[in-house]
Amino acid sequence: MSGIDTLETAMRPVLILAALSIAAGDVALAETPRDFLIRFEKEAGTAASAERGARFFNSKQGGEWSCASCHTDKPTQAGRHAKTDKPIGALAPAANAERFTDATKVDKWFRRNCNDTLNRLCTAQEKADVTAWLLSLK
Amino acid sequence: MHTNEKPIRVWDLPTRLFHWSLAASFLVAFLTSESEKLRDIHVLAGYGLAGLIAFRILWGFVGGGYSRFAEFLPTPAKVLGYLRSLLAGRPQHYVGHNPAGAVAIFLLLGFGIAAAASGYATYNEFGGHFMEEVHEVAANGMMVLVVIHLAGVLVSSWLHGENLVKAMITGWKNTRNENPAG
Repeated sequence: MSGIDTLETAMRPVLILAALSIAAGDVALAETPRDFLIRFEKEAGTAASAERGARFFNSKQGGEWSCASCHTDKPTQAGRHAKTDKPIGALAPAANAERFTDATKVDKWFRRNCNDTLNRLCTAQEKADVTAWLLSLK
Repeated sequence: MHTNEKPIRVWDLPTRLFHWSLAASFLVAFLTSESEKLRDIHVLAGYGLAGLIAFRILWGFVGGGYSRFAEFLPTPAKVLGYLRSLLAGRPQHYVGHNPAGAVAIFLLLGFGIAAAASGYATYNEFGGHFMEEVHEVAANGMMVLVVIHLAGVLVSSWLHGENLVKAMITGWKNTRNENPAG
């Protein structure tokens, strides 16, 4: 048995793991904004309403801020942080291709920003509605 | 064995002030980490933490006996020896930082620097998503070390029959002095 064969045998599990993780990474990268809409609708158990999403986005929900306080009521444009005044990239996927493509980021920012505006987490229905509205913007 | 048992001064005032200020600034930063509304306070706590660590590094070279890095520099031999004694249920007694604690201190300082630097980068919008990740990993790493540190303080206080929390408040330990420093 040659050294190379032994090495290959030894490396096989590593290579398989590497291939699997690259594949998993590709799946994660391949997520589209529509995948998130489908996911939230599925979690909510009902269809999303872009109209309801727009109302939710643009009005205060018990907190001091609405979503629009930072993202403006035209999320195809850049927003501005209500506390630090720093620019925030446009939220609508039509204007910013990076938005709603990474589940980690989407979940992280829904969690943080819902707590800031609602003092609680958003329901799946609320997330579905907002996502539907953002996807409808051109 | 209990010769020379009398109160000794272990932690000087700057070291104690540093310790509790660092704990407070880290706690504030951690508690405000998820909020955009409290972002100003979070950033302020981060600057405080960075300043405190800068002071501690300086103090590690010019400060009082047990506060100096040279006094508790953990060599692999010292760390292994200490961990072995800990597992055997008869931990070696150090008046200052024990070698395992010393490792945690240097890691905490390192993670603190990484958290502050990556936080500064993120806040000023350079380094992108990568810096955001570094910031979170460093801050979570600090929290893990803090939890280990708290457990270590409890276990060590119990095993050695000394109140380490009180020592970090008053600076005094009522203990036998086996390895006088500085």
